[in-house]
Amino acid sequence: MTGAALASLLPLPVALPIAGAAAAPLLARISGRLPVIVSLVALGGAVTVLLLEAPAVFGGRVLVHYMGFWKPVNGHALGIAFAADPFGLLFALAAAVIGAILLLYTLSELGGLGPRELGGYACLFQLLLAALIGAALTADLFNLFVWFEVAALASYGLTGFFLERPIALEAAFKILVLTTLASFSIFIGAGLLYARHGALNYAQLHDALRGHVAAPDLIALGLLIGGFATKAGLVPFHGWLADAHTAAPGPVSALFSGLMVNLGIVAIVRVVFCVYGPGSAPVLGLLLTVGLISALLGAVMALAQDDLKRLLAYDTVSQMGILAVGLSTGTATGIGGAVYHLINHALFKSLLFLCAGAVVHRTGLTKLSEMGGLARRMPVVTTAFVIGALSIAGIPPFNGYVSLGLIHSALLDQHEVAAYILMLIAQVITIAALGRAAWLAFFRPREAGHGKLEQLRPGMLAGLASLAGCCVAFGVAPGFFLETVMAPAVSGLLNPARYASAVLAGAGRLPGLHIPFDYASPGELASAGACLVVAGALAWGYLRISEPAPVRVLRAAHNGSANDYAAYAVTGTLAVIAVLSLAR
Amino acid sequence: MILANYLTSAAVFCIGLYAVLTRRNMIKMVMGLSLMEASTYLFMLSLAYRAGSTAPVLLSPPPGESTRALAHGNVADPVLQNFCLTAVVIGVAVTAVFLSVVVRIAQHYRTLDSDKVREMRG
Repeated sequence: MTGAALASLLPLPVALPIAGAAAAPLLARISGRLPVIVSLVALGGAVTVLLLEAPAVFGGRVLVHYMGFWKPVNGHALGIAFAADPFGLLFALAAAVIGAILLLYTLSELGGLGPRELGGYACLFQLLLAALIGAALTADLFNLFVWFEVAALASYGLTGFFLERPIALEAAFKILVLTTLASFSIFIGAGLLYARHGALNYAQLHDALRGHVAAPDLIALGLLIGGFATKAGLVPFHGWLADAHTAAPGPVSALFSGLMVNLGIVAIVRVVFCVYGPGSAPVLGLLLTVGLISALLGAVMALAQDDLKRLLAYDTVSQMGILAVGLSTGTATGIGGAVYHLINHALFKSLLFLCAGAVVHRTGLTKLSEMGGLARRMPVVTTAFVIGALSIAGIPPFNGYVSLGLIHSALLDQHEVAAYILMLIAQVITIAALGRAAWLAFFRPREAGHGKLEQLRPGMLAGLASLAGCCVAFGVAPGFFLETVMAPAVSGLLNPARYASAVLAGAGRLPGLHIPFDYASPGELASAGACLVVAGALAWGYLRISEPAPVRVLRAAHNGSANDYAAYAVTGTLAVIAVLSLAR
Repeated sequence: MILANYLTSAAVFCIGLYAVLTRRNMIKMVMGLSLMEASTYLFMLSLAYRAGSTAPVLLSPPPGESTRALAHGNVADPVLQNFCLTAVVIGVAVTAVFLSVVVRIAQHYRTLDSDKVREMRG
């Protein structure tokens, strides 16, 4: 197919799930499972279209489609542009594929729900996925805001899905307050940029901002980062995250943590790299600081949790911090590592949340202190959980090793030794938290048995196996993925001018790029091994001592009050704006 | 005076934010967020204002103006007005979800005090 024909297919991956979402509640009147099956078909269609685009896009082409064929006139974009660059297409593909796996899993695990519930569930699930794909492909700031809001509305519904559970209501209220505040921030930021430059298209904004970024532009940047960081769950904007993940059903937590929070990171990447350009504002240092704080605080909070899903949720905060640190390096290696980690995190965190959901669903236990001895009773789930935990831990041959190794080497290349050491500390605490969870839930011997446990169904097995398989595949073939997928994605982010001219011209090519990675690097292998040993000691020690004072203070700060979480987020946004304006 | 618009919008925004940060009654928090939302509309519409401009309607121009002059010149910015229209629609949906959650919380906990609804912490 020609480039123009391929580009004209770009709205389909968004339109198909939205059509499926509209049909789902109606189809539920015919049969309970029909909505979920139709969702799978719609997502399959989206994946097919995205795969059709993939060879051209990962070959370095940028495919652009203007909605309603309203092409730019004299360099002024009139319509909304959808532009498939390698980075956006990669995230869209990940969202569609992992979303389909989660739906398949849902069909097995929650297939017994009533038709009304399944209809609503399939509708919201697809709306959220459509919003993620749309946010990845759009090249228009206001359109990005609309996808953010669509994702937000769907997430409110999914958080409060089990309305009869009181904690689901509480979580829904908190996510509503914080996300609504974030949406105001993004709305005003986008409005300010439009009022100053008369443009919303990334390309036009980039051309206007290149070389000259004034104070109002920095305020707009601060508002946009503050808003999207709330979605990404970076500290101090993360108040909603742990609660929303705890209350939702397993596949929904997997969707939130694996894919939805990444929307925030993708949007920050677009704003920082594609619109402003990494050199034009002191934003990389800010990302480094926020990233390190998130990585450390998330890891410590995870270590202190007694609720399995809450532990995984705080680990998401930590992983988002690691992504921000990778992006903050501004080098091909570091950004490549961050993009790699984005995909890895989507895979292993979905896997872990599915495991946690399976445990909670079958035993009815949520607290680690009440679990134990599940390794013998649920061998498949245990294997999957261990694979996920080893992937996060960065142990070869699993996928986390590759992305963390890339980020570490990028930090060392830039002589950011302090940041490198803090990253290793966060890594140690993360491994300790997951090791502690695995020991308490699965391997700790326990005499008092639970009743007979329900068997895993084929769809659940398929879901766990495919995610675990991907974790291994991304770990053993880094050369292939770096060369064919990550390098083109990074090239698009590091050459915003080429991306911009491609968007305005309706088509374009990105320059080639090579990201070196030494799998058998002795330093990286040694640090992974050392982290594992120290983390083992830390987990062993933490099981035996009472809670240290700093951890108690941190936990007390997460006091569950929506007012206080909103205050943290507002303070954070003001601080971001102040830092950006003063550091100029 | 367009400055009055900006000042009003900033004041309303701050009143709304104050309510969100200090009121524990959930209905009042929703009201605070609605105030903040309304203030952003006023802000956007003020940004769209041009001194002495007309509405961005190019059919049957007002006396003394031609369609061509209007297209090239002094009309209020329609894009920012579209921003507001989109945001109003989204805002209605969000407020509806918000209030239904608050109603369910009130039914379940028999309170509207957000401080009494925090089982999940730490």
